[in-house]
Amino acid sequence: MASRHAGAAGGIKMRWTKLRGIVFFIGLIAIWEIASRSELLNPLVMPAPVRIFDVFSDLVASGQIPWQILVSMRRAAAGYLLAAAVFIPLGIVMGLSQRIYCLFEVAVEMLRPVPPPVVIPVAMLFFGLEEEMKIFVIFFSCAWPILLNTLDGVRSVDWVLRNTARTFGLSRLKTIRQVILPAASPQIMTGLRVSLPITLILVVISEMVGSTDGIGYFILDSQRRFRVVQMYAGMLSLAILGYTLNQLFNLLHRVLMSWHWGMMRRME
Amino acid sequence: MSRLKQFNWSGWLFFGLLLLAWEFGARGAPKLQLYFPPLTRVLAALLASAQSGPLIGQLMITVGRFLEGYLLSVAIGVMLGVVLGYFRLAHELLETLIEFLRPMPSVAIIPVAILMLGISDSMIVAVTVYATVWPILINTIDGVRHIEQVLVQTGRSFGLSKARILWQVILPAASPYIVTGLRIGLSIALILVTTAEMVAGSKGLGFFILDEERSMNSGNMYAGIIVVAALGYGLNRLFLTVEARVLKWHHGMLARQAA
Repeated sequence: MASRHAGAAGGIKMRWTKLRGIVFFIGLIAIWEIASRSELLNPLVMPAPVRIFDVFSDLVASGQIPWQILVSMRRAAAGYLLAAAVFIPLGIVMGLSQRIYCLFEVAVEMLRPVPPPVVIPVAMLFFGLEEEMKIFVIFFSCAWPILLNTLDGVRSVDWVLRNTARTFGLSRLKTIRQVILPAASPQIMTGLRVSLPITLILVVISEMVGSTDGIGYFILDSQRRFRVVQMYAGMLSLAILGYTLNQLFNLLHRVLMSWHWGMMRRME
Repeated sequence: MSRLKQFNWSGWLFFGLLLLAWEFGARGAPKLQLYFPPLTRVLAALLASAQSGPLIGQLMITVGRFLEGYLLSVAIGVMLGVVLGYFRLAHELLETLIEFLRPMPSVAIIPVAILMLGISDSMIVAVTVYATVWPILINTIDGVRHIEQVLVQTGRSFGLSKARILWQVILPAASPYIVTGLRIGLSIALILVTTAEMVAGSKGLGFFILDEERSMNSGNMYAGIIVVAALGYGLNRLFLTVEARVLKWHHGMLARQAA
């Protein structure tokens, strides 16, 4: 079969290799299905995929999964955007001024090694199980990738660019907005991208540890009530959510940064 | 090299001021002390529980689980990564599966692990391995893929056996990538161990911190956090030291190329 496609255009060949992966994937699921139905796998622990999918579509249709995801996403967005709003400006300031960088450096280095989930108990102490608890945890965990990437981005801005701006008599604010920010934006975007999966992970963890709703709570609660199929359905929705978020970010990235790639191409 | 760097006076001064503000802010507001005990009380709690034992015990348990999970992940991630990087067919077959599983937040696996393994040490280790394997695997695949084919072909024309090409050509050439994966994996492993301990543990630092919070012993809670942070810091430092040793040849090579 493969030889028939060997001479074909690259696009078709790409699609063919992709197809092989998909076929293999479906094959694995089929094996799981058979093994679970014939009770080679304990169906109480690994229920048949078709059943999971049934329950998943029921839960989607009844609005239960969309609702839990909406609740989680609201928290995630709040914490993520708040972190971006605080730490991108801080990163810019620290990147521009060596003195301010030195001022904050030690405090940042002391706080950075704290594994983010450990902050959950502190947040619970202050906020109880309220929304603010999860938002704070996400805010804290996104802080470092956003801050450090912005900082690096600003520092690596070409000195010629900055000096040119000064020569043209641009004000400080204008220099930041029209020179520094665009030049550092690829790295700022990297920070934002790295924070995306972190946000998702921390929403799920904080909902597992201290919440009464949200998709993380839904999955753990389903397990505790031995609603195993429902638990897997929740995980499926999380996988879809993670994938979608990533694709959305890529799309946004392409739109926002198209000028950057265009410039890189011209430079070549 | 870093020893030549000047001591950051202003940074330490600012950090010290923050700690003083914590101390006196907490002392000035007795109502807040339940949430925010003065720093000296936290340090006293740290000393007390370190002397009487519980904190050290929990630390040892967490470190044990961490080491077990991390080392297993390294073994699995590097081996699988070399196979998937080297054999195109294997990667093509597994690609869809990887693309499906990777965007799912790894902690979502905790309930499944509880279901299969119960609330046990092996559950925590399994969860840690699941999450930590990803960055190591992906970086190893990338590293093996980026090897210059000339290297492998040279090895082949010198008649090296497959195993020797693997040990003496592929692994060293891919090691800068692999090391990146290992470093990312390090912090992920610590995150996962503490998370699993919080969600379903009866021992370990994660459990200790959450438990002290629930019983409103905020002094002990902060003490636990300081210990976890110190652990994270220490592990990272250790890793960087080992990396500098092991990858000395690589940095040397880069410097030579740049010169």
